[in-house]
Amino acid sequence: MTGNKRTSDAAHPASSRMLAVFIKEFREIFRDRRTVISVVVSPLLITPAMFFFLGAIIHNESKKEGTRVYDIGVIESSASPGLTKAISELPQVSVRYVSRQEAETAIAQRKMTAAVVLTPETDLLAKQFKPVPVELLLDAGDESSQAAASRLSSGLAKIGEHVVATRLSDRGLPAQFASPFSIRQTPIKAGGSMTSLLLATMLPYLLVVSSFGGAIYASFDQVAGEKERGTLETLLVSPATRREIVLGKFAAVAAVCVISSILSVTGVIVSFSLPGSMFTALSTSGGLHLSASAIVVSMLMMLPLAVLFAGLLLAVSTFARNQKEAQTYITPILLLVMVPVMISIFVHSDIPRTMALVPILGTSIIIKQAFSGIYDPVFISLAFGSSILYGLAAVVLATSLFEKESVLIKA
Amino acid sequence: MISVNELHKEFFDKKRGRIQAVNGISFECHPGEIFGVLGPNGAGKTTLLRMLATILQPTSGTASVAGYDILKEPQLVRQNIGYLSGSTALYERLTAREMVTYFGTLYGLSAAETARRIEEIFTELDMHSFADGRCDKLSTGQKQRVSIARSIIHEPPVLFFDEPTNGLDIVTARTITRFIRRCRNQGRTVVFSTHIMSEVEALCERIAIVYQGRLIVVGTLAELREQTGKQAFEDVFLKLIGEEDEEL
Repeated sequence: MTGNKRTSDAAHPASSRMLAVFIKEFREIFRDRRTVISVVVSPLLITPAMFFFLGAIIHNESKKEGTRVYDIGVIESSASPGLTKAISELPQVSVRYVSRQEAETAIAQRKMTAAVVLTPETDLLAKQFKPVPVELLLDAGDESSQAAASRLSSGLAKIGEHVVATRLSDRGLPAQFASPFSIRQTPIKAGGSMTSLLLATMLPYLLVVSSFGGAIYASFDQVAGEKERGTLETLLVSPATRREIVLGKFAAVAAVCVISSILSVTGVIVSFSLPGSMFTALSTSGGLHLSASAIVVSMLMMLPLAVLFAGLLLAVSTFARNQKEAQTYITPILLLVMVPVMISIFVHSDIPRTMALVPILGTSIIIKQAFSGIYDPVFISLAFGSSILYGLAAVVLATSLFEKESVLIKA
Repeated sequence: MISVNELHKEFFDKKRGRIQAVNGISFECHPGEIFGVLGPNGAGKTTLLRMLATILQPTSGTASVAGYDILKEPQLVRQNIGYLSGSTALYERLTAREMVTYFGTLYGLSAAETARRIEEIFTELDMHSFADGRCDKLSTGQKQRVSIARSIIHEPPVLFFDEPTNGLDIVTARTITRFIRRCRNQGRTVVFSTHIMSEVEALCERIAIVYQGRLIVVGTLAELREQTGKQAFEDVFLKLIGEEDEEL
């Protein structure tokens, strides 16, 4: 018997074997519980639940803060019976008259939230129309103490306004004499809302980190995992060439990068839109406006980044002898990926175009700007073009590593 | 069907320096023959078979397998061989059927052809009861049968078995040896590497003894006995590799 010698190249083009590898890997990746949890369950269920929970806590806390009565101390109360009385009449405060030492001890022991220190010359200075020094004692490490101090500050400001009004009326002047302006902020209808700004700042981080992070387990499984379980040799004795295998695997990991970023953004947008979530509790003005063009631009920009991430992850997975080793290599790389995104959070609209060429940073800035309604075609082209080059470099790195015998097979 | 010509493989190890894993091995084997490669652990058997299967590149020398040169036409070599070893595991998250279908596709079989072959092989190896069970849930014996099915889905004229019974119980090992005989009876060329003497005695037409990367001798069992003047195969082997026990 001679067997059937197939001239595999002619009848079965490389692309069909690559496709077979891709389909198999993609199917197997989504049978891995680790990937399903990190790519699907976490962004679509856990993220909205977490934001909802945080929203409920913030809402609850601010409600509690509104009704709470703060225990405060007044030191040197005898210096100005008038001011002392005014302070004791502030809403939701309960006043005790103490010495400075007593106040400091009580605040440290959390028996008192904050204290007002008056100077003996209070009334004298007030009569001379000189500023009266008022000192507030607080524990900077205690939120209740800070809240009490800020309530005291605004209360004292109100008392001050009253003093000014009395002084003006004594001279026959209207109360508005010392208020030359009446200022009011009106957000324009076509402008972005605070929620949108928050989202625009968060999205680049979210997209980049989920794209990279979501594919970590999938990529580790691809080569390091196969080495560990002994399936790599099974695959290498098939007629698929190493390049076909690595490109098929690469495509599967890149697909996971894209799916992961889409699902995590979906999860956050759902969280933003849910009534009672953290964002509705935080933002005071406007709802969520997502422009279709911003979404299209972001997704387009994420594609070369997915290529870059998949290439890098696969290179690490190929280089590592097992998944544990891959985990060690990936930590510094993840940090390197996050730095440019962090930078993008802090940069504002006027950005030098050279920043477009920095890997990941250019993309992050474009996504942030797109959701704020800013599009700079030159910046976008530069970032997109350079991003494609970085992506290709990563694929070449992964491919050449995979074709190296010493990396792939332990002697 | 297989012609090996002065194959060398040198590795570089940071601690041990240069290692000659395979040092100038040549032999031939033919259709309808089970060719045994016998040697202790670390003799270079796996490296030799991996080079013939084009998983490793020889440092020098070459070989032709199923009529194709391992250096010039590696893909056609792989297209025409089946390879089964202790380290060719299964994809745990695929079912037995998916696993074999995947390899059918990689070998370039059409979907219909793959399905027909699977039906045939699964019947022959009595695999239908666990055909749609995930590989990680199968018993060792069932896994071995999936591996066998994977290695013959494309009806290769040449088969390599690298210590295929390593770590298997006697019943499972029997499945493998029975399958190896069947391949020979179908006229395929079979190369079988092991360090277990009894398997070689029971299965192989001709035997190559490999030791420290070198080919010590090739011959039939009768020829080797004659050459050494020993009867028990263990003694034949020890004499040939020069590790013969001193007479008491």
